[in-house]
Amino acid sequence: MEIAPGAVRDETRQHDEEAALTALVSEYATTLYRVAFSVLRNASDAEDAVQEAFVRVLRHRDTLGEVRDHRVWLIRIVWNIVLDRKRRAKTRPETDDIAELARVLPANGLSAEQRASAAQHHAHVLGCVEQLPAKEREVLMLSAFEELTSVEIAEVLGITESSVRSRLFRARNLMAELLNHKRSHP
Amino acid sequence: MTLPTHDNLETGPGEAEATLRIIASLPAPKGLEDRVNAALKNGARTGKVLAWPTALGQRQGWMHSAVARGAAAAAIVFIVAGGGWSVYSRVQPAAQPKVIAMPRIAAPGGFSSAGTMRVPQTLNGPVLAHPAVSIASVKKAQSKKKAEPTAKEPGTAKSVQ
Repeated sequence: MEIAPGAVRDETRQHDEEAALTALVSEYATTLYRVAFSVLRNASDAEDAVQEAFVRVLRHRDTLGEVRDHRVWLIRIVWNIVLDRKRRAKTRPETDDIAELARVLPANGLSAEQRASAAQHHAHVLGCVEQLPAKEREVLMLSAFEELTSVEIAEVLGITESSVRSRLFRARNLMAELLNHKRSHP
Repeated sequence: MTLPTHDNLETGPGEAEATLRIIASLPAPKGLEDRVNAALKNGARTGKVLAWPTALGQRQGWMHSAVARGAAAAAIVFIVAGGGWSVYSRVQPAAQPKVIAMPRIAAPGGFSSAGTMRVPQTLNGPVLAHPAVSIASVKKAQSKKKAEPTAKEPGTAKSVQ
């Protein structure tokens, strides 16, 4: 049976795309998971979001070559997915956050009691973060990722770098007020 | 990677950032990449199924001759049309129901008319005290009177003679 040259070319192209996608997964899956977890704060939900992000990439694999920075592009995709999911999901009670954080926080030689206390503290702080306006909260959350510069945060959120800086400034001030208020009125 | 713990947390405004940094640096679960790759393979397989006509169009096989494809399309059309016709032909037209006047069903909560018919009241015309006589009939009666000779009373005739 004769094999058409077009078929060979197609199979080669498909093989290349699959290889590129596998490389993207091995390079960025962890980063995307951490971004997803920081918003959803649930391991399985975060993993689902990462899978959905890569499935979207698979659907638009023809445009992979046009993407300038794959990392920022992928973070932007997963960011939109998790924000959408969070918008649709009900508000999580703080107890859920405490349980999940106690499960995922690294032990670092802490006793079970200390871990539970640390989880409670982090859940409490995250509760304050949730009270921030959405724009300030998003910038604050993304700024926690050391690998993201303010320019990259601006690209993910689709705003200017100066907006990122001003929002971050406002977010820090608001957080200080919220935490002080919580401390004085426990 | 050294993770910040709650022992080295900053206090005040940096507290939130420290917490967020801890969460942002959590390790991903083991086997995440494998699971994502497996999901992608499933997604790719689904994509291939959806794109089969394009994929087949470039390979050699029995499906590639235009005649075979045309015959297959014709067979599909024939089966669908035949099925439709068999269903259509089995459906009998419903007999025309006889018209039966049914009493009106009253609206829920209201009263029925109980079969009564409403007769609208008509206006009474003017009632004449005397019968109306037309001019024509009066004239006719007068002409008839002139034509007939006046009958003599028998008693009077005898007396003249």
